[in-house]
Amino acid sequence: MSFVVGTALLAVVTALACALPGTFIVLRRSSMLVDAISHAVLPGIVLGYVVTRDLDSPLLIVGAALAGLLVVLGSEWLTRTGLIAGDAPQGLIFPALFSVGVILVSASFANVHLDTHAVLVGDLNLAAWDQLTVGTVSIGPTYLYVMLGMLALNVGVIAVLYSRLKATTFDPQFAASQGIRTGLVNTAFMFLVSLTVTAAFNAAGAILVLALVTVPPATAYLVSRTLPAMLVLTVTIAAVGALAGFWLAYVLDAATSAGMAVLFGVLFCVVLGATRLTQRRRVRAGATAPARQAAPLR
Amino acid sequence: MTPAEFLGDHTFRMVLLGTMAIGVVSGALGSFAYLRKQSLISDVISHAALPGALIAFLVAAALGWDGRSMPVLIIGAVVVGTLAALFANGTTRVSKIRIDTAMAVSLSVFFGLGMLLMRVIANGSFPGKGGIQDYLFGNASVMTVADLVTSISVGGIALAVMLVMWKEFTLRTLDPDHASVLGFGARTIDAVMFATIVVAVVIGVKAVGLVLMVAFVVTPPAAARQWTRTLPGMVALSGAIGGVGSGVGAYVSIALGNIPTGPVIVLTLFAILVISLVASPRRSLVTSALARRRARAAVTRELAMEEGSR
Repeated sequence: MSFVVGTALLAVVTALACALPGTFIVLRRSSMLVDAISHAVLPGIVLGYVVTRDLDSPLLIVGAALAGLLVVLGSEWLTRTGLIAGDAPQGLIFPALFSVGVILVSASFANVHLDTHAVLVGDLNLAAWDQLTVGTVSIGPTYLYVMLGMLALNVGVIAVLYSRLKATTFDPQFAASQGIRTGLVNTAFMFLVSLTVTAAFNAAGAILVLALVTVPPATAYLVSRTLPAMLVLTVTIAAVGALAGFWLAYVLDAATSAGMAVLFGVLFCVVLGATRLTQRRRVRAGATAPARQAAPLR
Repeated sequence: MTPAEFLGDHTFRMVLLGTMAIGVVSGALGSFAYLRKQSLISDVISHAALPGALIAFLVAAALGWDGRSMPVLIIGAVVVGTLAALFANGTTRVSKIRIDTAMAVSLSVFFGLGMLLMRVIANGSFPGKGGIQDYLFGNASVMTVADLVTSISVGGIALAVMLVMWKEFTLRTLDPDHASVLGFGARTIDAVMFATIVVAVVIGVKAVGLVLMVAFVVTPPAAARQWTRTLPGMVALSGAIGGVGSGVGAYVSIALGNIPTGPVIVLTLFAILVISLVASPRRSLVTSALARRRARAAVTRELAMEEGSR
């Protein structure tokens, strides 16, 4: 497999692995929590590296995902105390964890092969550098298979938990009354998101992972009315946008993940503008209810 | 290192005064974001400040000015930061997208744009492109006297606007519907309020870094809220916590040697928050635990007395 094809595949698989759980993230109003998770994994990665001394160890991903989960549970707990209002709890915990990570990197582990710049920005081409070979034939970047595994895990867990996820997302009280353990489902799902974010982090960086997780589902959400439709649209947008973004960055010789983020953003704005226009036309045509007040997504 | 030695050094003095000014301004103005339950908008603003500053740098370089001059970068960052905040709030108004997703979309796309511009600048040959990556992680030690004067005066203007519009800000924050009924222009007040918050964020980004700036805006108000029940008290205390926390953090980071200033300040502020949550007299975790135990004891006593009288 040539380098370009392998890297393009990595871009698509990473986008898919992020966007799939992203659908539920957008519906559950936890988008900014992903931002918090993606920063909080830094100390997890550094400490995991100190223990394993291997930046590619799967143990590292699990450790970092646990640090991400710390933000989720910590901010849930802070909200429950009733002492902190609004969206502040997330904003309190992740900068503190990120600071611990930066201090660890800069102070005692100066020899760590971990560039904080790369952590924030990520580099798809660098992640695709290590090629896996069978015999003498290259079968694509090693990291492609890590992300394929992550994608498979996401598909599997979401398929198994689908009805429970749906119930806890749209009507938590109903879900609880049906005997679904909502707290457990939430924690399991957020751990999955945390794992995905950590795995995608090498390719996309802490901040641009947020674009891969939230922007394609947000775009799909604008135009879909049922959950299956939204899932299909999200996957389509993620795949097409990733390919187009990769091509754009390749042609312009720009950073790949940044190119993908901007392309997803443009797509979002176009769809947002189009829905606005059709809405207005419908209102002018005399329809009583504008699309905004249409039945909520079920 | 003794405090006298510390204050005698020009660089250390700049770091201390600069971070304290940032702490006071963002702490005071962060109170309004906190009470409106939109603290995380500061995270969106700080990430959008990156493309703003870079665009300003490119425009200045094209016009042959000094691209690194702080006022130019601040203007660019304020304009684009305000755009990002308006984009997030506007999206929720015109579509069914909710605020958390709107903020996430705005933050990540503006940051992606910033990273594209960063690559353009890194590949090109622009005079004075050296310090531009400081915006990512912040670098308090390169602060010059001119930078300090700019931060203090721009931050001072934002605080002055807050004082002049105190009545409007208070009403809009605590009772938005009442404000509209009384005929205050909600949109105008919101625009001015968010602009002051944008200024508070932007003057700190270069020294603290765009990732950690959110802590300067969120942590002091959250800590101050535990001790006070009035808005003037909260704004004043939050500003004080921001200033003192930044000062202590800056001193510790320099006294300990080669440790970046921003993260140490964030951890200092976090420690102040934890103390506030545990120890404040009226509503802390300890107080409520004591109250619960006292109530339980009272009920047990009452039940025992009832049992005895029977």
